[in-house]
Amino acid sequence: MAELTYRDAVAAGIAQEMARDERVVFLGEDVAAAGGVFKATVGLLEKFGPKRVRDCPISEQAILGAAMGAAMTGLRPIAEIMFSDFLAVCWDIVANEIAKTRYMTNGQITLPLVIRTANGAGSRFGAQHSQSVENWAMAVPGIKVVAPAFPADVKGLLAAAVRDPDPVLFFEQKSLYAMKGEVPDGECIDELGKAKVLRSGKDCTIVALAAMVHRALGAAEILEKQHGISCTVVDVRSLVPLDTRTILSEVVKTGRLVTVEENPRLCGWGAEIASIVADECFWDLDGPILRITTPHVPLPSADELEDHTIPSVERIVREIREKFD
Amino acid sequence: MDTSVKRKKATTPGIDIGRETRLELYRLQVELRYCEKRAYDLFLQNLVKGTSHLSLGQEAIAAAFGVAMRPDDWTFCTYRGHAHTLARGASMAGVLGELMGRECGLLGGKGGSMHLTDVTRGAMGSYAIIGAHLPVAAGAAWSAQYRGTEQVAVCFFGDGTTNIGAFHEALNFSAVWRLPVVFVCENNLYMEYTPIHAVTAVKNPAADRASAYGLESILIDGNDADEVYRTAVECMNRARKGGGPALIEAVTYRHSGHSRADPAKYRPEGELERWLERDPLNLYRTRLLHHGFTEGTLKDIEAEAMRKVDEATAVAKASPTPSLDGIEKNVWADGGAAWRN
Amino acid sequence: MDVIMPQLGETVAEGTVTRWYKKVGDAVKADETLFDVETDKVSTEIPAPASGVLAQILVQEGITAKVGARIAVIQESGAAVTTSAEPSVPAAAAERAAASTAPHPASSGFPRGGAAERLSPVVRKLCAEHALDPQQIAGTGRDGRITREDVLEYIATRGAPRPSALPSEPRAPQQPATAAAQSTISLTNVRRRTAEHVAKSWTTVPHVLQAMEADFHRIVEARRRMGEQWKQREGFALTYLPFIARAASIALAKFPHLNATFDGAQLKLHRRINLGIAVDLNFEGLVVPVVKDVPAKSLPQIAREINDLATRARAGRLKPDELTEATYTITNNGAFGTLFTAPIINAPQVAILSTDAVRKKPVVIEAPEGDSIAIRPVGMLAQTFDHRAVDGAYAAAFLREIKSVIEARDWIQALQA
Repeated sequence: MAELTYRDAVAAGIAQEMARDERVVFLGEDVAAAGGVFKATVGLLEKFGPKRVRDCPISEQAILGAAMGAAMTGLRPIAEIMFSDFLAVCWDIVANEIAKTRYMTNGQITLPLVIRTANGAGSRFGAQHSQSVENWAMAVPGIKVVAPAFPADVKGLLAAAVRDPDPVLFFEQKSLYAMKGEVPDGECIDELGKAKVLRSGKDCTIVALAAMVHRALGAAEILEKQHGISCTVVDVRSLVPLDTRTILSEVVKTGRLVTVEENPRLCGWGAEIASIVADECFWDLDGPILRITTPHVPLPSADELEDHTIPSVERIVREIREKFD
Repeated sequence: MDTSVKRKKATTPGIDIGRETRLELYRLQVELRYCEKRAYDLFLQNLVKGTSHLSLGQEAIAAAFGVAMRPDDWTFCTYRGHAHTLARGASMAGVLGELMGRECGLLGGKGGSMHLTDVTRGAMGSYAIIGAHLPVAAGAAWSAQYRGTEQVAVCFFGDGTTNIGAFHEALNFSAVWRLPVVFVCENNLYMEYTPIHAVTAVKNPAADRASAYGLESILIDGNDADEVYRTAVECMNRARKGGGPALIEAVTYRHSGHSRADPAKYRPEGELERWLERDPLNLYRTRLLHHGFTEGTLKDIEAEAMRKVDEATAVAKASPTPSLDGIEKNVWADGGAAWRN
Repeated sequence: MDVIMPQLGETVAEGTVTRWYKKVGDAVKADETLFDVETDKVSTEIPAPASGVLAQILVQEGITAKVGARIAVIQESGAAVTTSAEPSVPAAAAERAAASTAPHPASSGFPRGGAAERLSPVVRKLCAEHALDPQQIAGTGRDGRITREDVLEYIATRGAPRPSALPSEPRAPQQPATAAAQSTISLTNVRRRTAEHVAKSWTTVPHVLQAMEADFHRIVEARRRMGEQWKQREGFALTYLPFIARAASIALAKFPHLNATFDGAQLKLHRRINLGIAVDLNFEGLVVPVVKDVPAKSLPQIAREINDLATRARAGRLKPDELTEATYTITNNGAFGTLFTAPIINAPQVAILSTDAVRKKPVVIEAPEGDSIAIRPVGMLAQTFDHRAVDGAYAAAFLREIKSVIEARDWIQALQA
């Protein structure tokens, strides 16, 4: 076991896969010589050379288009989109081209590519550099969507994403880059489509993703110690494919579902899970489903404003207490 | 309107087009024309559904490149891609079947007219979002460069594409990385229903922009199959040897509207007639006769082409509509569409 | 006509509505039980003041209202409905009540008479699966909602007598099955009030403890001789408590300063001797129902009354005036085998008596012909008194009087009264 930061786990995951498979290449803006604006890809250029680790112009459509072209002709590219907000700039390539080409060609074309991007708020970058947009990706058929919360998951899920024959959108949370965590030594390979139960309780099941997982765990601790409400916490990890089996069985055990989502309110990823639970667990619910989300606004930038807008531990505790017996 | 085209650059006179190549060039143009016309007829019979973008009048470009490209080269084209896909050797029955939404279609009825693909022939897709496939072609070229092969990606698009962002990104990207990709702008003078000159800052939408990417300005007569062929060979060979990308503007004209929905009433009086006089097939036929090929040879080619089109039409018509269980197939590499367990 | 929060006990200022027996729109008969109110320690059934239809519920279950506040409105047969203009309870409760004036169809999903009507999907499912009537299930969720846990517990304990805790308190939040070594229990209302009361007594009254052993052999003999008969006739066992109560009342008549209340300045001697008998509620708190005018009652009457009060206390069915006007308190822990107890005085009373285990012991019997050892049932009488009100000599003399009554009275005859 080693202790790695989340950002180092990114570099380690990429390195592991690049070492293992010559077809894996990596491109993005400022990723090679500078090691990435978030320093998540430091050392890769030195280790693998300029042929395999390439800096690109500011051309998101070209970066992802090139990744797609390379993927369909024998390579396994990892492309970086610096801020997930910029996916909007090249969303045609993601949603219309990459997501649909296999289906439209009836399986003739395979696209084993990974798009890594820095998602989420907490860094005071303002509305256009702080969004969580994994729910946009979840809504488009044909892309797999992953959002790890811990360094070990970063490395293992990145490896799984690279080895997956389908396109994967890999959302790293920028406010987690400095967090440390245990990462197993040796080869790390996880599984897409598998949620993890991080804590077991009897009164409610909290389902969370990425940075919100840590807040959910903090809130669950307070709820249990100070308010006698005992919560299960599930880290979804993978939106597509979605581990509905785990989520549903954990909801049935407690009879209550709470989601904690960094997305703005409308059509956050939790809305879909809430609808599945309302359908398939209806007769096991002991109370209404609670979604704890960012309100439906662009994100403000000042410290206090941003902290108050994104679901905080305090707000999670408060909203659960208000809704529970 | 001036229908003559000034060549800004002389092609290498040294490329000799052999007789076999010439026959091949003609045969392919004829097949492309007859098949496309058949698609139009089938539409009038309500057998071709949705929309189709016909390339009648533009066959020389697809045919010339089709002959010039090697089997392991890649084609990327737009939704007006029937000819380009056929030119790489995709089956006519597959093309007509796809247009008619049948099981024998190249895409099993899943993609339709705008997405014709046959990866076994290097036809890596027809793309319906303007400009999107240019960076994709660059990516394929990168793959060849990375793996050290001599493959080339050829990317076809229209004059309207030169104004979209992805065009600019792909050209710059390809130039900086010196990728083996040949970008071919088929300037048929109209961006959908609008004359291209009304919406473009420069006179020659592709050729006048090449210098922005450090590339040579290449402007050719897109209706002259020989000229297109020579240009294709030269640019592709340079790319294969690591000479980087090329941007070719081939001026042509489409005989029908933008799509079948378009009766093309926006064209000025007489323009179509003048261009019909420059029909590439007629031009080439005349040239072949001038080079000593017999009328009989040419008629045999034409008859054979028609026979192939008739045969393909029959196969396509006989093919059933696709099974409904194809709806949830092939989203993922495992052949399925599952998003949950 | 308005239904008003009644005055329950002289010092009570408010009460909590804990259960409605009728829903808005139901027919109501005068004197039929309409709702339960909980005050300090007791839950009381309140009868309907008139016949008619329950037109409005202004105070929902779980809500506390002041004495005299309007709780509900009954539309008397033939009378017009008068809806409240200014409810005297929180607006939200009033709005909910006003909105539910007309009876809703069963499927409407709007909350009606109380949250007890709102059954969650899992509760419905469990009730259907086990053929349960939700009306039979106590709801411990917010506003009295029936939770999944409530149904599961009901299923698990079905057939067992109803839980004897005071009804309809919001239960303390569930403890996790995998709790660490430490767990937290919130106080019930009863325990909280007891806690406040004893803390006040303890910190304001100077307590002095005196104890004296008494020979219970005459009482034991009376119980031995009459016990079986008594049990068969009365349906409950004869304990030491009625005898002690009688002895205490006799002694209090002779020592009136101990049958008194003290407010810090004045000692108020009471003419009546009303004995508070401490009753433990299954380890969940204490109540002290009162046997009034003990001297006027026979021993059997005292025994019956103590038994009745204790039983109803455990079922939460005491009447408010059964908790008031005690002048002296007796607490009995003998059943558990204690040697003696130093009880906390039930202020503003000035003393409290604890009787503990009665056990066979060797005692010295003095006789003219010489001392001998005999085996006798011996129990400790321990009294704590307020030293501001009386002194040790007086208190000790009182104890001596009780002892001599216990040891000398003809208890068999007393039982036959």
